[in-house]
Amino acid sequence: MTRLFAILGLLILVAVPVGAQDLTKDEIVVRVKPASITIPIGQTKQVEAEVVDIGGRPVKNVPVFFFSRNRRAVSVTGDGKVTARKPGTFKVVARAVVGRQRRGPSATVTVTVPFPEAAAVEFRNAPTRLYVGTSVRIGAVIVDKNGVVRNDLDAKLASDSDQVARIDGFGTVTGTHPGKTVIKASHRSLTAEHTIEVLANPVANIELTPNSTKVRTGDVVKFTAGLRKADGSEVTGVPVHYSLTAKPDDTLGNAATGQIEQDGRFVAESPGYYTVVASSGSAIARTTIRVVKRFKKQRKVEVIGRGSVTDTHTSDLWVWEGVDGRDYCVTGTWGANGVAHFWDVTNPGEIKKISSVTVDARTVNDVKVSKDGKICILSREGASNRKNGIVILDVVDPTNPKILSEFTTDLTGGVHNLFIDGHYVYALSAGRRYDIIDIKDPQSPKRVSSYQIFEPGASIHDVWVEDGIAYSSNWRYGIHMVDVGNGIAGGSPENPKKISSYAYPSGWNHAAFPFKSQETGKRYVVAGDEAFPFGLHTKDTPTYARGWMHFIDFTDLEKPKEVARYQVPEAGTHNLWIEGDLMYAAYYNGGLRVVDISGDLMGDLYKQGREVAWFIPTDKAGKIANAPMVWGPQPHKGHIFFTDWNSGLWAVKLSGDKQ
Amino acid sequence: MSRSADLAAAAITVVFAATASLAAQEKPVAIRESSGLEYHVLVAAESADEVYKVAFDGKKARVTKVVNVGYQPTEVEGPHGLTVGPKGRYWYLSMAHGKPFGILYKYDAKNDELVGQTELGMFPATMQISKSTGLLYCVNFNLHGRMLPSSVSIVDPDEMVEVGRTITGPMPHGSRLSPDGLHHYSCAMMSGHLFEIDAATFGVTRRLQLDEKQPKGHDSNVKPTWVQPHPKLRRAYAALNGAAQIAEIDLDTWRVTRRFKTAKGPYNLEVSPDGKRLVVSYKTAGAVGIWDLLSGKELARIPSTRRVTHGVLISPDGRYAFVSCEGVGSEKGAVDVFDLSTNLKVASVDVGLQAGGIAFWKTVKRGS
Repeated sequence: MTRLFAILGLLILVAVPVGAQDLTKDEIVVRVKPASITIPIGQTKQVEAEVVDIGGRPVKNVPVFFFSRNRRAVSVTGDGKVTARKPGTFKVVARAVVGRQRRGPSATVTVTVPFPEAAAVEFRNAPTRLYVGTSVRIGAVIVDKNGVVRNDLDAKLASDSDQVARIDGFGTVTGTHPGKTVIKASHRSLTAEHTIEVLANPVANIELTPNSTKVRTGDVVKFTAGLRKADGSEVTGVPVHYSLTAKPDDTLGNAATGQIEQDGRFVAESPGYYTVVASSGSAIARTTIRVVKRFKKQRKVEVIGRGSVTDTHTSDLWVWEGVDGRDYCVTGTWGANGVAHFWDVTNPGEIKKISSVTVDARTVNDVKVSKDGKICILSREGASNRKNGIVILDVVDPTNPKILSEFTTDLTGGVHNLFIDGHYVYALSAGRRYDIIDIKDPQSPKRVSSYQIFEPGASIHDVWVEDGIAYSSNWRYGIHMVDVGNGIAGGSPENPKKISSYAYPSGWNHAAFPFKSQETGKRYVVAGDEAFPFGLHTKDTPTYARGWMHFIDFTDLEKPKEVARYQVPEAGTHNLWIEGDLMYAAYYNGGLRVVDISGDLMGDLYKQGREVAWFIPTDKAGKIANAPMVWGPQPHKGHIFFTDWNSGLWAVKLSGDKQ
Repeated sequence: MSRSADLAAAAITVVFAATASLAAQEKPVAIRESSGLEYHVLVAAESADEVYKVAFDGKKARVTKVVNVGYQPTEVEGPHGLTVGPKGRYWYLSMAHGKPFGILYKYDAKNDELVGQTELGMFPATMQISKSTGLLYCVNFNLHGRMLPSSVSIVDPDEMVEVGRTITGPMPHGSRLSPDGLHHYSCAMMSGHLFEIDAATFGVTRRLQLDEKQPKGHDSNVKPTWVQPHPKLRRAYAALNGAAQIAEIDLDTWRVTRRFKTAKGPYNLEVSPDGKRLVVSYKTAGAVGIWDLLSGKELARIPSTRRVTHGVLISPDGRYAFVSCEGVGSEKGAVDVFDLSTNLKVASVDVGLQAGGIAFWKTVKRGS
């Protein structure tokens, strides 16, 4: 137990003490000495408490106990010793115990833990050389005696010689003339110095060339700045600053229209003329390009067929070609009776429910089928016996699925998502980890390993396996790539090995789908959010989710980088699927979205007009009437199947020509 | 003398003292008219992430409001334990699954708006607020975790901050305070221990093995799931789920004094405010048992409306017992009401899926 405290029996006697038994309500108070206290980090000071009556006379036999309202910052021990651990202002409470089912009076001690004195000013990653006419932002931090950075303090920066280099209020240093200058960082009496040598900028001319002149919105154009001396010879190693001016076709109050990175990559959101400016010292180059609309018009989504489910909410789906060559789909149910429905979708225009399986669960959140089309696995949550786990079915004949076994060992907290890869099942356990279960003998499953993030408050939501790599989605711990047979990190299902990870600040990471760009060869993982800042309505009222798709470039496994997003305003993401250059996104209240993800990716794909098509399913007979809530998509043999939480299974098709 | 023999001897010797003590207070139970009161209780639907407010007017029970709870609505988070603050202004809910830790929520009883929350341990479950210390004590059940010792979280409900955490045993459950609010009791389901915690020092003061034979490791045969101190005597009653027994514990000698054989799966229990009746939910048998504590006899065993019987509470006037029933699959949960003057089920109302935790909120005069 980290919290330390105890009864402090206060027997401070005076000439005529009174006893607790003599007291009536509100006749006593607790006094603390001191009422406020300042304690440096790591030090301990004594606090004393006494119980007195309204006349100020000590009351005997009334114990007082202490507790801290921020025990990780300030702890209090049994004899009233308060120890400071973190800076800030905190409260320690002393409360009398008067018994008789009555809460005793309290007194509060205000404990101030000052930040440790600043001990030094330090430059961090400051360059030693700078070219005239170029800028760099340098940082100086103030650290305390423990070496901890004082983020509450800023160092003042100044250049010894503005003639050599100027520095602005944000720490941006710009070289002005060749020479040396000392940049001084100071905080009160503390100072640090850093010498920067400003070099003559050899760049006299810049040739600015885009890699493409036939540009659509969303196309990433790489501008290359060729640097030359006055004699025409090439210069390398001198930084170039890129900026942008725009003249969009639509001038009616247009907002942001394009984006340029300092590596020269540019992308436009709106059609128009864009002038990219590259500068280095006094040399400047400008190049204007014309950007046209990506698609003349969006494609339509045609409804081909439906497998309506309106008596319960529908969860995930899986579509597969059965061993008999026909096409089937399994869908789960949410907050209901533990049912999974099986559909014949061979003719998407005539979807037929062919069977249903009921297991002991309230929610069958996830359903998956093995590649050979023989085994189906169902997740269970809310089982009446609280054992949950997974159920394994023989679906060789989907008109008559047979339960082969269930596996609940250490999965009793509920399985929210699962995956099947070969004869291994990846099943989430109570949102803490995923277990890998060998179902080579499907009637006798055996767990062979687990993968868990051992960090404070780590939690998992989903796992997807492709090419021997498990991609798990872990809320605030983001995407984890784990070798479960790929070989890149020597892992296997029996011995999963982490390859890489990436997390983003919102902590909404809910799903992941990997893909390799056919055009650029870059390897991405699309991380989908899930967020309900306005709640989820299970009856009568539509839901307004939030969140977006994060495009993370994992090409360099050591340095994954979030490079793009797809964010539909006023709606929220759920599951996704990628096939070729198209992303199929289940966007809850935003419906089904089909997005062109070809080529290099940068910026907001939605604003760039990369959306190929969208479709919002509504059903007045739905579980919630006319409330679109698209759960999961899957393309299959030219059709797009998806489930909607309120209306069941849909089959749609893109119409119109690809542009 | 071995520990188990010691327990058996204690049971024999103390049973007479217990009987004599209760006999002095016993009065005949008369069938009474309706109390003229309307009783309001809260019940948590664990598989629906809902809390139901239920009113009972002496004849009929009805749902007055459904409160959606939790923060990740597409997942079953599992509202489990419920308690109402001493003044009835706030009600508190333990949510089993977070990311991954469970959460304690505080709601304003007037409008059921969420006014505070704090993260606890794994699968926080049953809880109560001490009227003496003003603090809330909640067991971290850790139902789905490894069989390691878990803990009791101690929370300042004014500020909704955890001010202490006391390690007890594996799967602690059935958390209840002594009538004076100075001691906290809980059972470690997997080791079979009863734990006593000093509510002010937060320290474990005593531990009692409830198995008659010392179990090996975390393999209790009796699997205690609930403990309730007697409102007037220095006794406590523990539901021994795995043994189909109720154990009576003398809190002075810290020994088991009586064991009552019950139907299968005693799960929750409560002693009536006058100390004469014990109402037990039989989770496996799907029934409710009403016991006379003086004679140690079961007066009635009544089937529940649903198959899985869960939580028990008795109204402060001792007139009615409210029992939650889980149901199976999409079968709705229910709250059954039993008249303790007739030992009959007098009402039932459907609530959400897997109705579990139940707490008394208030009584009001009918028609007011």
